[in-house]
Amino acid sequence: MNITSFYFLCFYAVVLILYYAVPKQLQWLVLLAGSIAFYLLGGSGWLILYPLATSAVCFVSGYRLSKAEDGRRKKAWLCFSLAGTLGVLVVLIYFNFGIYTYNGLVALFQGRLFQGKPLDALQFLIPLGVSFYTLSLLGYVLDIYYGIGKVSTNFFKFTLYGMFFPAMISGPIMRFKEMEEELYRPHPLRYDQVTKGLQRMVWGFFKKLVIAERAALIVNTVYDDYSNYEGAYFWIAAVCFVIQLATDFSGYMDIVLGLAQTFGITLPENFRTPFLSKSIAEYWRRWHMTLGSFMKDYVFYPLLRSQLFVRIGNSLRSGLGKKNGKRLTTFLAMFILWFTVGIWHGGGWKYILGAGLFHWGFIVAGELVEPVFARWMKNKGRDPHHKVLDGLRVCRTFLLVTLADVFFRADSARIGFRIWKSMFSVWNPAVLVDGSLFTLGLDWIEFTVGAVSVVILILVSLLKEKGGGIRDRIAAKPLPVRWLIWYALLFYTILLGYYGPDYDAAEFIYQGF
Amino acid sequence: MNREAIFDRLNIIFRDIFDDESITVTDKTTADDIEEWDSLEHINLINAIEHEMGMKFTMGQVVSMKNVGEMVDVIAASIG
Repeated sequence: MNITSFYFLCFYAVVLILYYAVPKQLQWLVLLAGSIAFYLLGGSGWLILYPLATSAVCFVSGYRLSKAEDGRRKKAWLCFSLAGTLGVLVVLIYFNFGIYTYNGLVALFQGRLFQGKPLDALQFLIPLGVSFYTLSLLGYVLDIYYGIGKVSTNFFKFTLYGMFFPAMISGPIMRFKEMEEELYRPHPLRYDQVTKGLQRMVWGFFKKLVIAERAALIVNTVYDDYSNYEGAYFWIAAVCFVIQLATDFSGYMDIVLGLAQTFGITLPENFRTPFLSKSIAEYWRRWHMTLGSFMKDYVFYPLLRSQLFVRIGNSLRSGLGKKNGKRLTTFLAMFILWFTVGIWHGGGWKYILGAGLFHWGFIVAGELVEPVFARWMKNKGRDPHHKVLDGLRVCRTFLLVTLADVFFRADSARIGFRIWKSMFSVWNPAVLVDGSLFTLGLDWIEFTVGAVSVVILILVSLLKEKGGGIRDRIAAKPLPVRWLIWYALLFYTILLGYYGPDYDAAEFIYQGF
Repeated sequence: MNREAIFDRLNIIFRDIFDDESITVTDKTTADDIEEWDSLEHINLINAIEHEMGMKFTMGQVVSMKNVGEMVDVIAASIG
């Protein structure tokens, strides 16, 4: 059940009415029943056993970990939970990736380095949202293992944490200690919470239905028929894909965060105007923030604190000097971190490169070049943080993300490289002005609507960056102005959005992970 | 080892990690007081302290210590 569909909105309205109709102590039960119904109505059927089983494994592990006194027993329960979470994820998502990689190597080296037969891939039915709920549940167990988590003593309440329907499919990735109070405490009906939540949902629908769906038409036209396009066409499609991905994912987040707000529940934010970032490192502190924070806390830091990395750090420091040794150790740990981020997006080299290792390369290059540039500017008596330079840095971030995302969207890493080659070797900028732009799925009127909508989005992002919530600013305006703004956005979305019975809105991109 | 001795050794470690000979930490010193002390340097700092002091922080302590004073409390309790 797509959350932009009419059926979902009917389902949501029923849950919302029941939520505020029942005694407040039972509200969480309505959400649990709603979450289970959402999964079943979404056509997932028996696949619901996956999140239920993962929740059970983590609930039992967490409880046992909190009671275990000796280290060995703790490690045993941790391993049990890892098998029930990461183990399942690895089998479902990455097993075939291993087979495809093996087959690729066999094809490449057949008869030269080794003999082997290609293996058949296995067909798995993947439960919806497996990459997201697995991380939320795994984080719960790890927090208890590290001695910083709260323990749940009610399995049904814990299952709601694992399956909370707005967040289950595409995040945000939650932390139990932050969400426990939010999910289970009574929430009286508050007009401001409901209206603000609905307003945010409208903004999310605007991003998804008006911008992302339009951008998708150009993106699909070019990427699905890539052998017939070259040069500037790929630049157009690449930029459109960045716009599509950003508005699709952040639009989804606006809808789910707004939806949760109507229940009185605050979910963690996942975006903070990432395209105003001056570096790739900053971009990742603003883009998919809950994934970044999860990876930092549960992959990067434990890695740096592991015996192996402490030893690597010591030997690199003694061999290369303190500063370089520390840097190289960090870069090594970052390599593993970005590999993990990439593969989390999907079992394929296009994800490992496009959502992982290219970003690692950009960050490392930035770490090495930026201080040298800053020193050079200072020696010249110029401000390395001049507004113009910062503006250029923002453009550079967008360009680098655009290049990496080519792989994210392409059907394979090989096609990604082919597109890159064409982008940099074919010079045909005339297609930008000779009308070819309007042959890619959007005529000039549709294209103009999309462009104007992107400008609106950029203006709102700039206002947001300046500080203060946009909805609070609008709420401070006189009533007629408030209504005018929200109804204008609502009707703009209704009139110009791509939806309805004749239109099959594309699934949210991150829903597939 | 008393608190004063721990502070003396911490000063040496902080100066080494942050490359700043002017650093003198107190009970109230936090990450806000040292420009380079971000979350990554925090891990490097923790690793260096563990190596120098011959003790181990738990992950819970690593993320929950609010200032150097609390860090000294944990070290004192650990090495006696």
